Amino acid sequence: MFGYAGSILEVDLSTGEIARKKLSPDFAKKYIGGIGFNARILYDELPAGTDPYDEANVLVFGVGALVGTPFPTAARTEASAKSPMTGQFGTSNSGAFFGTQLKGAGFDVLVIKGKAQEPVYILIDNEKVEICNASSLWGKDSWETINNLKAKHYGVEIALIGPAGENLVRCASIENGYYDGWGRTGLGAVMGSKKLKAVAVRGDKGVRPKNPKALLETVKEGQELIQSASSYTAFTRYGTLVATIPYGRFKALSAHNFTKGTLPDWEENCGRQVVEEYSDRHVACQSCIIACGHWVEIKDGKYKGLKMKDLEITPTVSFGATVGLKTEAIMKASELCQRYGIDMVSAGGILGFAIELFKNGIITRDDVGFDLDWGDDDAAFKLLKDIVERKGIGDILAEGTKRAADYIKESEKYAIHIKGLEIPMIDPRNRWSVWALGMLTNVRGGDHLRCRNPVENLRYNENKYDYLKERFGFKKPMYDKLDMPEDLKSKIINLENDTTDIAEMSRWAEDLVNLYNSTGICIRPPVMEKVGPTILAKAYTDLTGIEITAEEIMLAAERTWNVMKLFNIREGEDINDIKFPRRFYEEPLGEKVADKEKIQNVLEKYYKARGWDPATSRPKSETLARLGIVEQ
Amino acid sequence: MNKRLVIDAEKCDGCGICELVCALNKTGQWHPALSRIRVFADQKRELHLPMICVHCIDPLCITACLMNVIKKDQETGLTIRDESLCIGCRACEISCPFSGCIYDYTREIVVNCDLCQGDPICVKYCPTKALQFVSEAESAAQKRDETAEKRVVELVG
Repeated sequence: MFGYAGSILEVDLSTGEIARKKLSPDFAKKYIGGIGFNARILYDELPAGTDPYDEANVLVFGVGALVGTPFPTAARTEASAKSPMTGQFGTSNSGAFFGTQLKGAGFDVLVIKGKAQEPVYILIDNEKVEICNASSLWGKDSWETINNLKAKHYGVEIALIGPAGENLVRCASIENGYYDGWGRTGLGAVMGSKKLKAVAVRGDKGVRPKNPKALLETVKEGQELIQSASSYTAFTRYGTLVATIPYGRFKALSAHNFTKGTLPDWEENCGRQVVEEYSDRHVACQSCIIACGHWVEIKDGKYKGLKMKDLEITPTVSFGATVGLKTEAIMKASELCQRYGIDMVSAGGILGFAIELFKNGIITRDDVGFDLDWGDDDAAFKLLKDIVERKGIGDILAEGTKRAADYIKESEKYAIHIKGLEIPMIDPRNRWSVWALGMLTNVRGGDHLRCRNPVENLRYNENKYDYLKERFGFKKPMYDKLDMPEDLKSKIINLENDTTDIAEMSRWAEDLVNLYNSTGICIRPPVMEKVGPTILAKAYTDLTGIEITAEEIMLAAERTWNVMKLFNIREGEDINDIKFPRRFYEEPLGEKVADKEKIQNVLEKYYKARGWDPATSRPKSETLARLGIVEQ
Repeated sequence: MNKRLVIDAEKCDGCGICELVCALNKTGQWHPALSRIRVFADQKRELHLPMICVHCIDPLCITACLMNVIKKDQETGLTIRDESLCIGCRACEISCPFSGCIYDYTREIVVNCDLCQGDPICVKYCPTKALQFVSEAESAAQKRDETAEKRVVELVG
């Protein structure tokens, strides 16, 4: 089989069985790779109603189809399982070099089932696959574990959990090497429940492209496209921090657990200039031409000596806005999260929730053991440690905001989550956009990364379209170059009124992100703006020899989204769960509250665009037939 | 040949595109073990250094070679080898101080960079310009400028 490694590795930790299955070309074409494979495998193999910590839960790592080629940003691997946070489809995407090695070892997908008796790690060294004892690693933080495994096994890439995952902290992450990770939806806790400390992979086997010459041409074309994007230069310099100042000006940040919109010193603290202050070099993932990672060193002060890859928008907003920490403390916070192996967004959300409870007297010094306050880094880190070690009130908070709010009386109105997952970044009261709607419709709950407008505009923030539209804000050349079928494009974007239709664009944006997660490329804005289904279909065909059109490859992405939706519905997702936390509808920010009815209206439009039943949000049978999905 | 491949390690961010395009170009498949350029990576400190055959004037690999298959091309100045005679003993690989000799275990021989007949593909695809293929004059001028700039910064800030 060209392009793919061609096989699926199945490891059963209960029985110790290791099986290799052939990847069928039909399955490959239908689901492309990465999240597509994961979605179908989980939907087929996970019995409905399984407890996320049960040995029947399945943890899948799916490597994106283009990973292993020099196609720009093709580095990404999707990890999925039933989520301990939401009880629904849990999934997260990460870059760096893990996928390249897994594919190099000869596997497109790694499926982990069962539960080990003792702590173990899985070692994959090309053909050799072993389950090894990890008793000596259990309890060690991520960085120590990696040092240890790297000294033992030359050249491996490692997916692992830290103490948070071991202690079944519900929002634990799987770390990907030292500085990356599969953060969201609590997959680290699933790994912890399986007593699986790490997966170490090394692979030297080749992936054979069907047409290397054409692929190299397509790669060059992809590089030039991305380099021509309007946001490219800023992104290579400042990375994701380009968006911190605009969102602060919109007053749409998660500041102080979504009570403030922005903070007075936000721009000095978290603006893009901090990159210049703390970092003098960039770090890339496999095949990336943007290199948004920054190497950071703190030279003096309280956190002197901190050295790591950092300064990304996620920890910056999570700890800078939600908890209110200062620049250097934010970096420290992300170091701690990396080493504990805990999701930065959820950790920030939980801390923000706890601090607000404390400020309102719902929890007191007696419950916590010390005082909590906005921006108090020492207290925040102490509480974070308690959460990871499940000590005192940390034991309750480790269950995530939603469950903690069920437990702590009168705390429900401070709990900011959608379907059990803490919300990052944006406040829909002051910024309504495709991105904001995407948090509601996201299959994994309150999260911002599965629906991104390829032409998101950060210059205007006008809320005069009754929630139906956002301002397009660009000129015709941008419109012309956007890779989208012409009829759809003219339907979604109205150049005359300068607007984008939010419901329709959300559908396209979700499918596009899904396509990226299937092919294993990255959702950084310069990519989103320029790389569409046309070039991806071309690269896919050059690589695999499987003929596919732009339309078909988009359809595959849509198919995957619907399979995940079916999974969620099977797990009992209720249409009434698809709503923002109460605060957004009831408590004004400035003068604004989110209008429930109007948002409902947009949601209904979205369901219609998706071909879902607006009363239940279930995919209609004709939609499933159009996508060729066979229901379980 | 008056052009040379110049590596500026400070600009390398570790994306590894050079390795992938080299392997694809030389063998028609992606195979990290087949690339003739290798990016050394210290992942803890995120440091990256591309390593490649530098075509030494007096190469140690020639001295080390048991079969006498490596020689200097008088015209181009490149260190070239007759792959058909290589027995894969890897003596050259061990002797090379720049890790420029690469063991190709699919063919069980050692290979090195041949600058793609004067148009190295790694340079064409390098996104950060850490790899450059420039004439000796250009290279010297560039080097001079950069050193001068650094000095100036040191002197006047």
